Amino acid sequence: MKKIQPWLGLAARLILGGTLIAAGYLKFDELDKSQMAVRAYEMLPIPLANFLGIFVPFFELAIGILLVIGAAVRISGALSALLMIGFMIAISQAWARGLSIDCGCFGGGGQVPEGEANYLTPLLRDTGLALLGIYLTLFPHTKFGLDKSPAPATQLGESNNG
Amino acid sequence: MAKQPGKDNFTRNLVIAVVVGVLLIMLVPTLLSRQTDSSASIPANVSADRGYGVVFNGELTGVPVVDIYEDFQCPVCAQFTQLNGPYIESLIAEKKATVVYHTLSFLGPESVNAANAAACSADEGKFLDYHRLLMMNQKQENSGAWDNTFLASLGQTAGITSQKFSSCVNKGEYVGWVSNVAAAGAKANVNSTPTVFVNGKEIDRNASEYFDAAKFKAAVERG
Repeated sequence: MKKIQPWLGLAARLILGGTLIAAGYLKFDELDKSQMAVRAYEMLPIPLANFLGIFVPFFELAIGILLVIGAAVRISGALSALLMIGFMIAISQAWARGLSIDCGCFGGGGQVPEGEANYLTPLLRDTGLALLGIYLTLFPHTKFGLDKSPAPATQLGESNNG
Repeated sequence: MAKQPGKDNFTRNLVIAVVVGVLLIMLVPTLLSRQTDSSASIPANVSADRGYGVVFNGELTGVPVVDIYEDFQCPVCAQFTQLNGPYIESLIAEKKATVVYHTLSFLGPESVNAANAAACSADEGKFLDYHRLLMMNQKQENSGAWDNTFLASLGQTAGITSQKFSSCVNKGEYVGWVSNVAAAGAKANVNSTPTVFVNGKEIDRNASEYFDAAKFKAAVERG
């Protein structure tokens, strides 16, 4: 387990980080739509929703890049878990209230015709990603990262893994 | 403690600082660019108080106010115009309503081109004709079809002959205004196109008030 753990961490970092970069990048080009997507959840005051519509893509890119290169893994992992939990709350309340909106997870977003909304897929995906984020918060020591290895003892025992 | 190459704190901290720094440097101007720019030049018949929309019959009182939010590249908006456009234009011609067109541009750069050109046509007093032509000549989204040459030539089809129009289109004279319209639409919580407000209240999407001509008419007259 001790030997597998850093490799699991690497996989978690790449999956979570890669998804965040993709999600951030796809929203980046169409920030008007991104704002629309956040507003459509009808959860936040309009000015805050409009701010988040712009802020979230940048935030996703930042923690996604940090995760992929393996810098500040514990903090980035925790932040992405919190972000995913936020998304899950937003999606669940939209589902519960019967809103007809596009998730806007990877660009797009806004209202969609009745019956075309799909909440289960993004909810499951975000659950998985949140778990990866929590895993990285608990075990931030991974292969091929920029963060320092935990204790001198393991560092000596495990030779160079950079 | 043995120092490993590439694993010292300095590199790590530098990388973190660069990633966070670059994105912050990009975030701030992006946020600022979405503020309303009150110095942007605005076309004829536009009222900043009405969300920078192009206003018809703004002087009337006691009639319904119809705000229409649309994107020239949105296919559903073209269907909406085809169905309800003649009625809306008759409301304007017969002075039965104040109508405000908000040309959003969230579908991409060619929406901005088209909205800018529509603003230029407003200066020529041809907004309604040009608007109709754009919707009828809608192309594949951002396929490169709506460049300024096409948009200028569409003006001639609408009967606009002035040199000023084509230079207005080519210069992107009202691009700042287009972004103000978008900012106002965001403030008005418009989350899809087309969106129609009658007297400030959105008509009912789920009760087919958008795509049933009779119901749309009823929604406007209900006020």
